[in-house]
Parts: sequence; C-alpha cells; structure tokens
Amino acid sequence: MDKFDLVIIGGGPAGLSAARIALEAGLSVTLIDRSISLGGQLIKQTHKFFGSKAQYAKTRGIDIANILINDLDEYKDRLHILKEATVVALYKDYVITVYQFNKYFKIQAKSIIVATGASEKVLAFENNDLPGIYGAGAVQTLMNLYGVLPGKEVVMVGSGNIGLIVSYQMIQAGVKVKALLEASDHIGGYLVHASKLVRLGVPILTRTTVKKAYGKNKLEKIQTVELDEQWNYIEGTETEISCDALCISVGLTPLHQLLSMAEIDMIYVNELGGLIPKLKKNYETSMPRVFACGDVTGIEEASSAMVEGKLAGLLASKSLGFIHPEFELLEKNLVEQLNNLRQGPCGVKIRLGLEKAEVNSHD
Amino acid sequence: MNKASIVVIGAGISGLSAAYNLAKRGLKDIVVIDKAYITSGSTGRCGAGVRQQWGTALNCILAKKSIDFFMHAKEDLGYEKDIEFKQEGYLILSTSEAEDKVFDKNVQLQNSIGIPSQRLTVEEALKIVPHLNPNAFTSASFCKTDGHINPFLMSEAYYLAAKKLGVTFYFFEEVTEIIVKDKSIEKVITDKRVIYTDKVVNAAGGFAREVGEMAGVEIPVFSENHEILVTEPTKQMQGPMVMSFSKNIYCQQVPHGSFLMGRSNPKALHDHDISSSWQFLDEMAKTVCNILPKVGQLRVIRTWGGSYNISPDHQPFISDTEQLNGYFMACGYSGHGFMFAPITGELITEMVFGDKLEDYAKDLNIKRLDDKNFTDFEQSVV
Ligand SMILES: Cc1cc2nc3c(=O)[nH]c(=O)nc-3n(C[C@H](O)[C@H](O)[C@H](O)COP(=O)(O)OP(=O)(O)OC[C@H]3O[C@@H](n4cnc5c(N)ncnc54)[C@H](O)[C@@H]3O)c2cc1C
Ligand SMILES: Cc1cc2nc3c(=O)[nH]c(=O)nc-3n(C[C@H](O)[C@H](O)[C@H](O)COP(=O)(O)OP(=O)(O)OC[C@H]3O[C@@H](n4cnc5c(N)ncnc54)[C@H](O)[C@@H]3O)c2cc1C
Repeated sequence: MDKFDLVIIGGGPAGLSAARIALEAGLSVTLIDRSISLGGQLIKQTHKFFGSKAQYAKTRGIDIANILINDLDEYKDRLHILKEATVVALYKDYVITVYQFNKYFKIQAKSIIVATGASEKVLAFENNDLPGIYGAGAVQTLMNLYGVLPGKEVVMVGSGNIGLIVSYQMIQAGVKVKALLEASDHIGGYLVHASKLVRLGVPILTRTTVKKAYGKNKLEKIQTVELDEQWNYIEGTETEISCDALCISVGLTPLHQLLSMAEIDMIYVNELGGLIPKLKKNYETSMPRVFACGDVTGIEEASSAMVEGKLAGLLASKSLGFIHPEFELLEKNLVEQLNNLRQGPCGVKIRLGLEKAEVNSHD
Repeated sequence: MNKASIVVIGAGISGLSAAYNLAKRGLKDIVVIDKAYITSGSTGRCGAGVRQQWGTALNCILAKKSIDFFMHAKEDLGYEKDIEFKQEGYLILSTSEAEDKVFDKNVQLQNSIGIPSQRLTVEEALKIVPHLNPNAFTSASFCKTDGHINPFLMSEAYYLAAKKLGVTFYFFEEVTEIIVKDKSIEKVITDKRVIYTDKVVNAAGGFAREVGEMAGVEIPVFSENHEILVTEPTKQMQGPMVMSFSKNIYCQQVPHGSFLMGRSNPKALHDHDISSSWQFLDEMAKTVCNILPKVGQLRVIRTWGGSYNISPDHQPFISDTEQLNGYFMACGYSGHGFMFAPITGELITEMVFGDKLEDYAKDLNIKRLDDKNFTDFEQSVV
C-alpha cells in the first residue's frame, strides 16, 4: 500500500488553501477530488464575490478557483493530485480507499484533512422525482459549466443567496423565472440580490411552498400552498403554476459520511446544516491527525472555507513536525480574518451554531 | 407509581417476539424498553437468512419450529405488508472429503427431525445455481424450505401486533440498573424512570452479559463484530442462499435485487465494535469471486458490521436461572438469532407461565454448561 504524509480529501477552496499552506510548511501533499477539475463549488460561480480583499472580493468564483490552483504550481514536485478520484471510505487505521478510472485502490495516510464540502438538501413532496426538478447547485453546474439550460419556465424554491443568485443567472441566460417561493416570512439572502429580481418582475411569494408536482414523463406544473406560522399548510390556498423546471434551493448539508464512518465524534447542529465533526481548537477531529475544514464542518461561505483551509493546513503540518516559517503570524492573522468574516448580522446564525458546536465539543 | 408485570429489555427480534407471545397469552402490563429503536441492534444489521440445516439436534428443532411459524407469520400477526419470505432454500457447499462426511451426518440428523434436506453432487447443485464455480466445491447439501426474510418488516410485524395487544414500548431509554432483594427482582431503573416489577426478560442482544451483570446474573456470552455488505441491485439470478463454512461465506440475493454477503473474521476481538474494515471488503471480494464469479462483477453499495452474541457451544440460552427468581434470558444466539425468534418468544412465554417444557427445551437452559455429559457443539456456522 502506498504511504502518504498528508492526504487532503476534497479540492474546493478549503482543500486547495490547506494544500498551499502545508506545501509551504514543507510537507508532501496528496490532494484527491472526485471532479474533473479542482475548485469545488467555485468552478460554477460566475458571479463576483462579496467580502474583503483577503478573500478575493469582487473576483468571480471561477477566477478564484484558478488563482488557488495556480498557487500550487511552484510545489509540483511535492504535490500529488488525483482527479476524478472518489474517496469511498476512510477507516480507523488511516487507510483511505479510492475509486478512480474503474479501479479501486488503498492508500495509507499519516495525516488527513477532510474538506469534502456539502451537498444540497432536498424537499419532500408528491412527485419530487419527476425529471425537470433540480437542486439549485445542479442548475448552476448545468448552465455555467456545461452551457445547458434547465428549462424554459422555472419556479425557484428558497430565497437564500444561492436561490437568489441562481434565479438571476437563469434570467440572464434567457430562462423565465415565474416565481420564487419562500417558506418563512422574509427573504433569506442579501437584499441587493433580491432587489434585482424584483426589479425584473419576479414575484417573491413568502410563506409559500411547493406541495405537489404534476407531469407525465417530465414536470408540467406544480401546486403551491401557503403556510401558517408553524409552517403547516393552510388548506384552500393551493394554486397552480405551470413550469417545465423546478429549482430547489433550501440549503446545504455537510458531506460528513467519511468522518461518520471512521466513527469520529459528530454533533448535529441545525444552524450549520446538519451533522458536523466535533473539533478541537486546532481543527483536529476526535481521531488524532485527522482534520476537517470548510463546509463539511458547517455550511458557511467560500471566504471562510479558504481561511479555515489555511488554518487546518497550518495546524496539520505542525502536528507532523513541519512548522510553517511564519506560523505564529499566520495563525493570529487567520483567526482574526475568520472572526471578522463571522461578524455582523449575516453571521448571527453561524456564530450561534459554532457556539453550540463548541460547547458540545469540550464535554 | 410505574408498575409492570414484566419488563423486556431490548426490542430486537427476540424481545419483540417475547413481548408479542406473552401478550397473546393474556399477560397485561408488559413493558419493552430499548436504548434505541426496533432493528437498531443486530436484528437490523443481520443477513436474515433462515435455515434448518444445522449440526446439532437442538438448533435443528428450534429452526424447524420457527420456519413453520414464518410460513404463516403475516396472517398470524395480522400484518398488512408482506414480510418478503423468499423460501428458495439454502445451498451449502462442501469443499473437502472431510466436510462431505460431516454433511452426510448433518443431513441424516436433519431428516430424522423432519427437515427435508438432501445431499447434492456438484452437477445437481449447478442446476439450482448455474453461476457457481464448479471447481470451488466438492458436493453440497440443500433444503428447499430454508430461505430469507426482510428483518425490518418482520420486526415491524411483531411490533405492531404486540402494540395492538396492549404492550407498552419505551424507546431511546436505557436500562441502567436492576435492583434485586432476597433473590427476587424489585425494580428496573432506566435513565428516564423507575419501574416496579418482579420479572425481567434479558433480550439485550450484544449487551446480554452486561444486562445480566446488572442483576448479578452471570451469563458466559461475549460479542464479536461480524461484517456484511450489500451490492447494487441486479436482475433476479440466484434463488437460494449460497453458503460455505470452510470458505467462510454466505451470499443471498434479496427480492429487491441486491446481494447480501458476509463472512467472519477469525481474528475478531471480543467487544462491542461494529465498525467496517477494508480487510473485510478485500477478503469478501476474493471469496465471492472464487465461488460465485458472476456476483463478483457487481458494485458494492455499502458495508457495515453487527454483533454476534456468542455462547460457549454456539447454541442459545433461552432460559430462566437459579441465580435469580423471575429473571429470563434470550441470548447467545451466536449469529443465528433472527431465525430463532418465533420459538424464542413461545418458550419464554411458557417459562414465564410456569408450563412444563418439551424435553428438547431443557438443553436451552444455562444449566447445561454445568453438565459434563452435555458436549454438543455447533460447528456449522459462518
Ligand atoms: C450557488 C452558490 C453560490 C455561492 N456564492 C458564494 C459567494 O458569493 N461567496 C462565498 O463566499 N461563498 C459562496 N458560496 C459558498 C461556497 O461556494 C462554499 O461555502 C465553498 O465552496 C465551500 O468550500 P469547501 O472547500 O468546503 O467545499 P466545496 O467547494 O464543496 O468542495 C468540496 C470538494 O470536495 C470534493 N469531494 C467531496 N466528497 C469527495 C469524496 N468522497 N472524494 C473525493 N472528492 C470529494 C468535491 O468534488 C468538491 O470539489 C456559494 C455556494 C453556492 C452553491
Ligand atoms: C452480520 C450479521 C449477520 C447475521 N446473519 C444472520 C442470519 O442470516 N440469520 C440469523 O438468524 N441471524 C443472523 N445474525 C444474528 C442475528 O442478527 C441476531 O442473533 C439477532 O438479531 C439477535 O436479536 P436480539 O433481539 O436478540 O438482539 P438485538 O437485535 O441486538 O436487540 C437487542 C436490543 O437490546 C437493546 N439494548 C441493549 N442493552 C440495553 C439496555 N441496557 N437498555 C435498553 N435496551 C438495551 C439494543 O438497543 C437492541 O435494540 C446475524 C448477525 C450479524 C451481525
């Protein structure tokens, strides 16, 4: 079995950032991702990012991905990249099994950073498996990566930033967005994004959800229903909207499966999207020398994923005896950046979630 | 005050069957407690094969009586769904002359108890399972009334029937103590309540030893991790469960089209570990590719582990005990307790009601361990 110092699972912003720092610290790194190209969610994000300069604000997601990837170039001789390679299992003896090009193989890791990101949540309603019903991320991938439209007339469910941005991108691509449904009584994402949609005439229906889908071989129309304060259906408020695509954007949930299977201590935190690993201050899980960062430790943003990635890379290197030349400065600086990112009204939910996670990680 | 006529600890298939049978007999105020939920223990993790081809008379009788029940379980329990009893037999492969001889003896024993098993040549076996590798075995035994049942549906069938008869269930509640006074049970303490009762059934599966210790009852069983996997579904191609003790494999296609297969790890420790290992996947793949090469082409969906609760002679304890009045146990199934659930419930009920047991059932008592003349040992296990 091949042996590796540091294996990073997932090459999104978190994994790429961790790789860079670990390489700077002198480690040999193996980076594994199941996609054709590195970059994670970023490669389908054609919009310009918010936030501060340190996290590439005003740059498009796809361009940030390329910056992060090119940043690794100078360490080619110590970097081993496996693409189109799915990690199928992580075992308690640090063996990682991989499926790539129809082959199954094992590698032995000394230390591991899990940065597998998140997957989209689904909604339960009648006929939710009809062709034409997508997750918002899937629509974004279809359009921005492969240049394929999801349909002609679409209804979006969920008014978080992803729902808003993807709605806007569909309009830009010539799709008619017939309505945006939101179960709660207010819009979840930034108002700038929502305003753009309203200006373009998209009705945003709050306290409304999808109850049913109709169609023979593919989606033809949906039934919506209004919700009361407890999110129960209000009978008699059912309305129909004809559409050939329904786009569901009701949040993301951490891809925790590899961690769970290694019996790493986990905790369910609603505010962070679901099951996440209990972490020590240094991003180490309950399994020694296994670290986790990015969306898999709680749904946030690419900006915080990058900073967490760097921190995890820094601390994982240290645990293997590779102290980064600027360790102290970097650590202080990164922790500060993270705190800044989580400040303000938009960080309320994340701060609450992290607090819950922290309380439970130290008992 | 919380009172019960009897507390059943564990809502696995054994506890469910015990509770159902006790209630059916007319007992009131039965409480079943599980620290998780039905099928959370070994029952939801098992291969769920049901076979009568055993090497000891005791196991043969228990299996036969249970299969007789499974054949009309749906009607008896008034279950609306189907328990998916796929009664297409067990084909057990021998791989040496020595094993051939053991099989001859086993089939003779099974026939004497009324089990319709038979010995087969390699050619005859290939007629039943054409994709067998003919070079991987020397002969076989087959019993067409053996088969496979969906353990989730079977558990639900028992659970709903017991509930209908008035049994109370407490889930996500753990029994932590059993208070004993003058050789009698006084109360059962959980992490949520105290229940006064003078009778307890220990149906705690992998934790039977610990639940014995709680009451000061010594039960010489231990738990051991056994791993299993499921493949992607494919078209129906294999009727019987294919099994080999010497090659260490069992492999069955379930109605939904997936294959379930497992093998034991001779180096497994005695503990509560139920995790998965890459070694299992490696060894399982090699074994199945050797015996059933076509099945070896399928992709694996998932692997998992569960506890075998093992007794010194690989036969269960369905027993009361001289150590403590009112204490009953159903444990030590050594990897085949799913198929014995119906008879388990019936016997526990007879013991609780103080009936005179059939002769064979005496050997299920934990006292058999003190009997020097009792030397039967079940070898026919994976
Ligand atoms: C539509 C949309 C818009 C967004 N807009 C913004 C924004 O404007 N600003 C912002 O800051 N954030 C934004 N985000 C959030 C941001 O994209 C994510 O928070 C960020 O990508 C998380 O980074 P990550 O590295 O943790 O995970 P990911 O980017 O999800 O990367 C995980 C990687 O792991 C790989 N992987 C997973 N499992 C395995 C496995 N078993 N084997 C091998 N590889 C595996 C995946 O292929 C993927 O490449 C947006 C997200 C979406 C979906
Ligand atoms: C991989 C594998 C394959 C198998 N294949 C087969 C097969 O093909 N055929 C067959 O017949 N058998 C098979 N078995 C064996 C079978 O699974 C068991 O013998 C059977 O399920 C035991 O049932 P049970 O109800 O006694 O125990 P369990 O199903 O383990 O139930 C015990 C219950 O007790 C609860 N409990 C424990 N301690 C406490 C406590 N202190 N307080 C409250 N609740 C508690 C647990 O939560 C659990 O739900 C297999 C087992 C495994 C692991």
